Amino acid sequence: MRVDILQKIEGEAFLRYRFKKGRIEHVKIEFPHYRGVEEIMRGRPAEDAVAIAPRVCGICGHSHLIAAAEALENAAGVTPPLKARYIRNVTLGCELIQNHIKWLYLVILPLLKRMGFREVPFFEAIDKSATAGKIIAIFGGQYPHTSYAVLGGVCSDPTLLEIQKAKLFAKEIEDFFHSEVMEEIERFSEFKDSRGILKEIYIFLKHKELLDIGRAHDRFLNLREGTKILGLKRVSAKLRYVSTAPSGIGYAKNALYKGKYFEVGPLARRIHTPFVKDLHRRYKDGLFTRIAARVYEIKILLSQLKETLKKIEPQGDSFVKTDSLAEGTGEAVVEAPRGSLIHRVKIKKGKIERYEIITPTQFNLSNGTSLNPGPAQKAVIGLRDRSEAELVFRSFDICSVCTTH
Amino acid sequence: MKTKALWLQGVSCNGNSHSFLNYEGLRELLSKVEFLYHPLLPSRLRIEDLADFTEDIDILVIEGAIKKEGFLRGKKEFFRLFQKLKKKAKYIVAVGNCASFGGVFKEYEADLTGVGYSKGEKIADFENLINVPGCPAHPEWIGSVLSLLCEGCEPELDELSRPAEIYSYTVHAGCLRNEYFEWKVDSATFGSKEGCLFYQQGCQAPYTGGNCNKILWNGVSSKTRAGMPCIGCTEPGFPSRDLFKTKTYMGIPARMPKGVPKRAYLTLTGVAKSFKIDRLNNPLMPKGPGCEKEES
Repeated sequence: MRVDILQKIEGEAFLRYRFKKGRIEHVKIEFPHYRGVEEIMRGRPAEDAVAIAPRVCGICGHSHLIAAAEALENAAGVTPPLKARYIRNVTLGCELIQNHIKWLYLVILPLLKRMGFREVPFFEAIDKSATAGKIIAIFGGQYPHTSYAVLGGVCSDPTLLEIQKAKLFAKEIEDFFHSEVMEEIERFSEFKDSRGILKEIYIFLKHKELLDIGRAHDRFLNLREGTKILGLKRVSAKLRYVSTAPSGIGYAKNALYKGKYFEVGPLARRIHTPFVKDLHRRYKDGLFTRIAARVYEIKILLSQLKETLKKIEPQGDSFVKTDSLAEGTGEAVVEAPRGSLIHRVKIKKGKIERYEIITPTQFNLSNGTSLNPGPAQKAVIGLRDRSEAELVFRSFDICSVCTTH
Repeated sequence: MKTKALWLQGVSCNGNSHSFLNYEGLRELLSKVEFLYHPLLPSRLRIEDLADFTEDIDILVIEGAIKKEGFLRGKKEFFRLFQKLKKKAKYIVAVGNCASFGGVFKEYEADLTGVGYSKGEKIADFENLINVPGCPAHPEWIGSVLSLLCEGCEPELDELSRPAEIYSYTVHAGCLRNEYFEWKVDSATFGSKEGCLFYQQGCQAPYTGGNCNKILWNGVSSKTRAGMPCIGCTEPGFPSRDLFKTKTYMGIPARMPKGVPKRAYLTLTGVAKSFKIDRLNNPLMPKGPGCEKEES
């Protein structure tokens, strides 16, 4: 048994490796803490859920906010106005963008450097992730940890000039992304005639013959869209088939769909784009496909951001008033940076009676057995080198604090 | 030589680490300060190296609540690391509400505390403690305090060990809705530019310390400017209950603005309410359709 600490993943996790003949035979993943967020919710007025939820996580708390607001709305039978939905899409998209940029520059590149990649300065990238936070702040007042999305809509009523400012910020991020990370390409074509960090990573991993290590089950869930993807075929998926089970180690529970382990996240969301499909055809759900899908998602998010900003009309309503929420059960699923995030709430006499949060990392880092491993476990079984295994783990963009909510 | 700092996390969501990354002076600060360990930034030490670490440090940054046992950082009990490091540090900077007062996770585990306080009660006598509460703390609060300490200069502190020049302001100061507060015009609903959020929506800005509306968040706005009530995240009582509803007695907010006697408040309210200011009871501005033109 060899225990490694996977660190700077929004906290830590223990990796308990079992080796056989120099190869990883199995690995148990332990998240050692628990913070009781679901318990903190219990007994509070239903509306408070949107103030507590973001505190699950410093990097994806906004996704928890949107999930909480939508779970309340589902319980109340309320649909927020179109303008509020557009604004939420803008701020949620910005959270994904800041996450993916930080992940690339602080989680992936430093490890690649240890493996021989060149040193890449991170200041400009961090500055651009902060710019995504500025866009959230225009609509939500601050980032991280605003609670501007409330039962019935959003608190803010942005002006045309504020929306214009958001567009300029979006353009700044886009310029950085296309000049530094990847140029605007639609197909993989081995990055022919194009340049950027992602291409450099491709060449580096190719040279080390690591492009297609880290393959998981090649089955995916995009629960917001309501699909599961098996062998690239999209089939309808229902939230009610998601269950959790004790992982047998640490406090985190496994998350399963119809009793099986599935991968969630950018690869699941973007596998049908020509670019990711090209990669999948060559390297299946391997290391580089997973890394590139997350990077490529930034491009998609930026283009959606621009489109959605155009659609926000100052004259529309941001909020619809609801009668006080007394009884009901609700659930919501949001595509958070790391994949499908589920919030479920039961309200009685205006108070939260039960609250349940299932996070993407619970899906991806489920602890299965060596015969039936979870997605990340499956992805490292058979590897010899622990830094390679670490890289594979990091390609899933693990969030320890979310998992230990 | 660079100032030596070490950023250690107790029970936390990582929100302050991420808030800090938004600091506009980050690059400049990191040219003066070396974080021997930081939860996000590349650092010389790995988390497990802290177990055998014995050097003196200039600044120990604590994020997250203090938990006495059953909580690991690396393979060591967090509390033992904390006990050791605090003796080695010239200054302790508690960032965020959790490290300052116990914070949100104390609602689940009552024995969590801040570094020197449990809620508002002082539990340890540190002469070198600076609290920078907030959920999260504003990046500039963290960055400028660290930068000041680098120069061997200490900020004046208030009775909760917070830098007075940050927390003596109320969040209310500088809020764009101040005129509505003055004339007691409340905001009928969320999602509007008009009206003050103190009367119905639970806004705690008039009695919460913090210069949020002076320096603004992310350089652009603040929660109250964006129409969200202040939820009092810099104060020891955070998080209180019923955060989006004002508790009232006979229609008067139960809690008065900081330092304002109830009698004074009622007198002014009576006068203000006896006038109806048209401008403040009408939409602030006309609203147009935006830029997306319908195809005709």
